[in-house]
Amino acid sequence: MIKIENLSKIFRTEEVETKALNDISFQIKQGDFVSVMGPSGSGKSTLLNIVGLLDSVSNGSYQLFGKEMVGLKEKDRAKVRKQNIGFVFQNFNLIDELSVFANIELPLIYNNVSSSERKKRVIKIAERLNISHRLKHFPQQLSGGQQQRVAVARALINDPKIILADEPTGNLDSKNGNEVMELLTDLHANGATILMVTHSNYDASFSQKTILMKDGMILSEKLNQRNIDILVNN
Amino acid sequence: MLKNWLQIFLHHIKNNKLFTSLNILGLSIGIAGLIFATLYWNDEQSYNAWNPENEHVFQVINDVGEGNIWNTNPAPLNAFLKSTFSELESHCYLNTWYFNEIIEYNGRKELIDRILDSQNTFFSFFPFEFIKGNAETALQDNTSIALSETTAKRIFKDEDPLGKQVLYSGRNLVVRGIYKLNKKSSYAPKVVTNLIHKRLDQNKDLWGNYNFGLLLKLKNPSESEHVSKKIENLFIEHKTKNDAKNAGLTLEEYIEKYGPAKVILEPLKTARLHSIMDGYPEGKGNYQFLLIMVGLSILILILSIVNYVNLATANAIKRAKEVGVRKIIGASKVNIIKQFIFETILLGCFSILLALVIVELSLPYYNNFLNKELLMNGSQFYLQLIAIFITVIIVAGILPSIYVSNFETLKVLKGNFGRSKSGVWLRNGMLILQFAIASFFIIGSYIVYQQVDYMNTKKLGFVGKQVLSINFRRTNDEQTLLRYYTIKQELLKMKGVKSVSTGVFTFGEGARSSSSFSYNDISIQGENMAVDFEMLDMMKIKIAEGRNLSPNFSSDTINTMLINKTTAKMMKEPNPIGKEINWNDNKLKIVGIVEDFHIYGPQIEIPPMVFFHMKTIDWMMYNMNEVYVKIEPENMKETIANLEEFWTTKVDTKYPFSYDFVDKKFARTYETYVKQKDLFSLLNIVVIIIALFGLFALATYSIERRMKEIAIRKTLGAETQTLLKELSKQYIIFCVIGFLIALFPAYYLLQKWLENFAFRISISIIPFTIGFVVLAILTLIVVLSRAYEATRVDVLTYLKYE
Ligand SMILES: Nc1ncnc2c1ncn2[C@@H]1O[C@H](COP(=O)(O)OP(=O)(O)O)[C@@H](O)[C@H]1O
Ligand SMILES: [Mg+2]
Repeated sequence: MIKIENLSKIFRTEEVETKALNDISFQIKQGDFVSVMGPSGSGKSTLLNIVGLLDSVSNGSYQLFGKEMVGLKEKDRAKVRKQNIGFVFQNFNLIDELSVFANIELPLIYNNVSSSERKKRVIKIAERLNISHRLKHFPQQLSGGQQQRVAVARALINDPKIILADEPTGNLDSKNGNEVMELLTDLHANGATILMVTHSNYDASFSQKTILMKDGMILSEKLNQRNIDILVNN
Repeated sequence: MLKNWLQIFLHHIKNNKLFTSLNILGLSIGIAGLIFATLYWNDEQSYNAWNPENEHVFQVINDVGEGNIWNTNPAPLNAFLKSTFSELESHCYLNTWYFNEIIEYNGRKELIDRILDSQNTFFSFFPFEFIKGNAETALQDNTSIALSETTAKRIFKDEDPLGKQVLYSGRNLVVRGIYKLNKKSSYAPKVVTNLIHKRLDQNKDLWGNYNFGLLLKLKNPSESEHVSKKIENLFIEHKTKNDAKNAGLTLEEYIEKYGPAKVILEPLKTARLHSIMDGYPEGKGNYQFLLIMVGLSILILILSIVNYVNLATANAIKRAKEVGVRKIIGASKVNIIKQFIFETILLGCFSILLALVIVELSLPYYNNFLNKELLMNGSQFYLQLIAIFITVIIVAGILPSIYVSNFETLKVLKGNFGRSKSGVWLRNGMLILQFAIASFFIIGSYIVYQQVDYMNTKKLGFVGKQVLSINFRRTNDEQTLLRYYTIKQELLKMKGVKSVSTGVFTFGEGARSSSSFSYNDISIQGENMAVDFEMLDMMKIKIAEGRNLSPNFSSDTINTMLINKTTAKMMKEPNPIGKEINWNDNKLKIVGIVEDFHIYGPQIEIPPMVFFHMKTIDWMMYNMNEVYVKIEPENMKETIANLEEFWTTKVDTKYPFSYDFVDKKFARTYETYVKQKDLFSLLNIVVIIIALFGLFALATYSIERRMKEIAIRKTLGAETQTLLKELSKQYIIFCVIGFLIALFPAYYLLQKWLENFAFRISISIIPFTIGFVVLAILTLIVVLSRAYEATRVDVLTYLKYE
């Protein structure tokens, strides 16, 4: 589903050149739950942004569903992005001025879904994520865990093929963090493909495979036992 | 999607009530200004626009040399126009002014103004819509009279006027047509008579009497050059040749010396705004003032739009996160642009509604100011309103929305966008533009103020205080002067009357006639200032040399004259007193030189003038339209009431008493410039308020963005003073740049404006200095107040934040 080969990303500023990603290759298959770990500045977010088509590539190839994404124009990237990818951020990135309902429905608006259909889908996903009673509230009135669940709901509303999560529990206490991780695990169990950046070994243990990064390179990939357990249990 | 946009929009105006309302207010003032200018523009442009003949009708204007351009023509052309001009469809001799006269019906008298005497072709030149009768028969003979609908109502009430007889100026006339007077027209008479033929007949051989207005209707407008040449040839044949013979010169020599008489055909279509003279009774529009109005209102609109753009982009930084999130979720650039334009449209709607309210409320004042009756209606106006709206939306909406849509998503989401420098050049450029516009207004209004003040305080050479000029309706007989002397005697007996005199001129309008005379081969066209003895003393006009006219010299009613200094200068005669002048075949001896005084407005050159007693030149009494009365300053009301009583019972029982104070009437000659000054001052305040508000908001935003920096500097030990300096430095620089940009346009345009005045101030450094100092001080006040507040803020709140 995702196939990355010899991918590099160089940031050039006036004085310095930073090689944020250095000749990276890996693959993600449909239904995978992959976590990315590594010290701060190792290029995790950069990788996620590239996979999420938010950032351009300096070198190499990135194929999504067998189609080359490198060299695509901003406009086309935006199109692929809005149809296929859902984002969850460390700091939630909800629009404070909009209600929970309006935040969740936003991607549907940009995909030209009719208003009655939007309403149906928002209510359905809110039920699933247990935030139905909060739809009329504004983000600032919710706890961090609830905000993140709203963000996840927004990421899922459009039935994206891949969910990208950049330190989704980074701003949460362990209780709320656990809720979010369980939610992701649950989604995965229902067939979602997830790529998640995290600092926490515990969080990573929810995933099937962990990619370890350092200085823009992949140090190792390892399979996580626990996920197999879950699979077996299922 | 709209609902979603609306939600965000409402949220933002709720949280930025002050800025939003000030922003809307600024924009609406700008729009209101343009609406005002548009109304004025429409009104002026609509003159004669309705007239289907406007391209075919031409006014005949005569340039007879020496700067004398007349809208009148001699009568003998009439015969030639009829017989030898196949280029013409028709022509029309008519007055270039209106009478006001009493029209009597069934013993009921109504004093009607705007009465026109014309040949019967008038209604084919100005085809007003006829309600009764028709254009062909309305003036069929010299017993016909045509009335406008409202005038007919006044005279006949509910009766049907058609075919009825009215008494007009001693004649019985039959009403043969009623027309509608609902269009803007250079001729808009309430009543038209066809009595002009008697006068045309009396003048039919007098090529030198330029007494009549003349309109031509050409079959083909492009032949106007050709027709004017043809008329010029007639003048040469019948007038110039004779003049040359009388002067003892050949035709060529005469033309060489006095220049050829030129005939100018001016189309009706452009007459209202672009005529070389004020040739029609409804007057000429002030094209320059119109351009000034339009120009200034556009400047103000630009200013308020700039303000809007500035605030919108500054505010947008606060919304960077929202935009970033929207883009990640799937909003395209175009979509973001649409969203922000949508917001501008909403704000634009509020603004235009508010602007309409402003215009509606202040329209009476504006009408008073312009002496007009403008209304907000007509499909043209609404179309223009829509055009203004769309333009404002496009100009004000597109820049900020493109700016916003280009926010880099990733930077925004990393959270350090709030302090980014993005868009700074745009905002600074706009700020400089604002400073430039504000400078222009401050400098300009100060120069205008100086010039008007100069005119207000200028020594006019006469004192018009306490002097009444009373309208004197003379009868056309030789008794005029005798009647005047009787009136004078009676008036002088009245309490409060200091002196009584007369003259054949009006202060502010000039003499009623001018004649040319030669002295040592120098030809001078002097204003004919026939007076009664006391006139010059009464007006405190000084004698520079020699003596004033006096009843003590019997010759002073026979063969003496005075000249003014301008005439003396033109004569190039070092010692004019005692010299004799051949004035229209009268030998007049100069006995004194009169100090120059203004007879037209203070902005107009003082013409050469010759003075003699009314009795000296007997036909002067036919030009006598006023009696001047100087009254005591005490009990003026009572004195004037007594004068009126006397006048309406003893002098003129038919017409109402009408008078004017000489000083007030004179001040009206430059009223339009006083109005321009008031306008400029008012706009100046508006502009400064808008600009300062923009500066205030921008300084607030940019200082807000630097709060963390300020906090860090403070912890490192920076003193308040250095911080203030640091924060306000850039604004002073912008202020200087803006001022420099305004410098040249202000100088150039105001210099152009000053060219209206024969007597004018020269532009000094003072307006510029004052302009700069005022602007700099206001800038500093605004910026420093914002900066000072910033430096007092608690350091910790900003350092903890990140
Ligand atoms: N916009 C940028 N401009 C310049 N350098 C950047 C930019 N974004 C990231 N970097 C650099 O790239 C490297 C990787 O960053 P990032 O992917 O954010 O690391 P991580 O998410 O693993 O902490 C870092 O050295 C960072 O400084
Ligand atoms: Mg990161």
